Amino acid sequence: MRPEGQRDDKPIRKLKQLPARHIMASGTPMCAGCGGLEAINEAYDVLGENTIFVNAAGCMTLLSIYPYTPFRGSWLYTAMAAAPAGAQGVRDALDVLAAKGKLDRDEDLEVVVLTGDGSAYGMGLSATSGALERDLDFLYICYDNEGYGNTGHQYSGATPHAARTATSRGEHGFGGYKKDLFSIWAAHRPAYVATALAAEPLDLAKKVQKAKQLKGPRLILALSPCPTGWDFEPRDALEMGRLAVETGVWPLKEYVDGVVTHTKVPKTRLPVERYLGRQGRFRHLFEPERDTGQLDEIQARVDAYWDAIER
Amino acid sequence: MKTASRILGTALFLDGFEVQDAPRYGAERRGAPIFAYVRADSREIHERGIIDRPDLVVVADDSLCQVPAAGVRLGLSAQTVVLIRSREDAATWRERLRVPGPMLVLPASSTDDDGGESLLGAECVGAAARLLGVVTRDSLKAATGQELERLPEEVRARNVRAALRVFDGHADHAGIVTGQPTLPLAAQEPPRWIDLQVESADVAAPTIHAGGTSVQVRTGLWRTMRPVVDHERCHRCHWMCALPCPDNALLVDDAGYPRVDLDHCKGCMICVAQCPFHVIHAVPEHEAQTAERAEAGDA
Repeated sequence: MRPEGQRDDKPIRKLKQLPARHIMASGTPMCAGCGGLEAINEAYDVLGENTIFVNAAGCMTLLSIYPYTPFRGSWLYTAMAAAPAGAQGVRDALDVLAAKGKLDRDEDLEVVVLTGDGSAYGMGLSATSGALERDLDFLYICYDNEGYGNTGHQYSGATPHAARTATSRGEHGFGGYKKDLFSIWAAHRPAYVATALAAEPLDLAKKVQKAKQLKGPRLILALSPCPTGWDFEPRDALEMGRLAVETGVWPLKEYVDGVVTHTKVPKTRLPVERYLGRQGRFRHLFEPERDTGQLDEIQARVDAYWDAIER
Repeated sequence: MKTASRILGTALFLDGFEVQDAPRYGAERRGAPIFAYVRADSREIHERGIIDRPDLVVVADDSLCQVPAAGVRLGLSAQTVVLIRSREDAATWRERLRVPGPMLVLPASSTDDDGGESLLGAECVGAAARLLGVVTRDSLKAATGQELERLPEEVRARNVRAALRVFDGHADHAGIVTGQPTLPLAAQEPPRWIDLQVESADVAAPTIHAGGTSVQVRTGLWRTMRPVVDHERCHRCHWMCALPCPDNALLVDDAGYPRVDLDHCKGCMICVAQCPFHVIHAVPEHEAQTAERAEAGDA
């Protein structure tokens, strides 16, 4: 069998350069077709085994349940709002050991915060802002499945407008709008901020590789199509991610040195309903009758975003 | 199954019983075993929690029997009726599970495999209601409609029809569940306490000292559909199928062919959807297993 993980640190340019086998082990309790797990798999390959995950409460907490872990190295569990604080402690401990000469350079670990959107957009935002303010050297990976997936998909700060969730069951779905976490991070002027998703593995791998080479606070914000919470067939998880990009709903972009660059601009954007219509959480926009008002509003917001970029 | 237990509970309630119904989940997700309990009595129910001496056990999917955590045989007595949804017959299951009491099979339908809508829950409830013998057809119909209120009307109607069809089909077994007398407290088994010895923290703490130990968890048991790669037509572009596999269950051999790790593949079928040459096929798990057994028999 082919070896696991990223074989070298050469710049990633082609899909074929990505490893044939992930370093994350099989046997996790995630749902079949988990879009978040796909993204984490792809990111972990690039980060390599010398990574410690600091995991706030969420779906991915269940990755490591004693005595089973899919990770090759350490994993630390924190309360939902406290992952960046946990990362600070781990980073400091590693730095102290290094200063005392008790940690070789090749033993140093990349400190990675792993949380869902509930923590990243909401409960953990204060601790995140604090870590950014202290210029903590860490990578934050958020698997954004647009709701509190672990507890039955209640709405979160990342839930898109009109989506039905366990706590937005009315005829119009969620009344709020998805928070712009990318811009919230960028406003802190950190080292790196990027959006990504598993359906664009090359784009994701390049971004993780870039983030790995930088120091300071870095964010990989990965949209994570969730068959269970969004109500679609597990087999369509990748297709759903692709549609999010091709409809322009999920812009792929990065922030470095004060500049935001879009890494993939769809030449002709598909209508948003191609994406929304495939998910049960938006079914009420199409049945029993078409909610033209809502659909037009969602389309107009996506168009306005791209008009502002392309101007 | 959670909804199925609610329907059964509601039906019993409509027929004048005191009822409890409660689902129980593990820490796992969609695809992992779940349990749902229904307790009904003509008097007030003081018992709480898990049912340890069931009168009726309904197994919605026969693959659960292989999963120790599902505990299919837990608490079976000579009075317990076991109903299993399967393609195999009751005699086979009686033998395999060593069921001491009545054993019935609810035939699994072909709609399970074509990715179409599953009426599994409704069918299980229809059968369970009939076997109990105390649920009326009208209450079953009303309860099914009530609990599925949020679903579109035609889906609800299909479920009601399925429940009633199976209810009618089991007339021969009406009332086969007789119930067992409640044990007086003194006769009940005391809890099995486990004495934990005092150990030093490095021994007692739940610390995992090795990486990748999750491979010991056989998530392959979740699968209802199996991806089968036609290696003769495979173009070896494994980055299309193996790379996005969330469970890392497509192993690429030295020649570049993807091979399915059946111990871990959960059957999400992302690889089937992704293969640009359509050479990965979704095969119902029971068919694949039957073919495997036939092959092993020939050899």
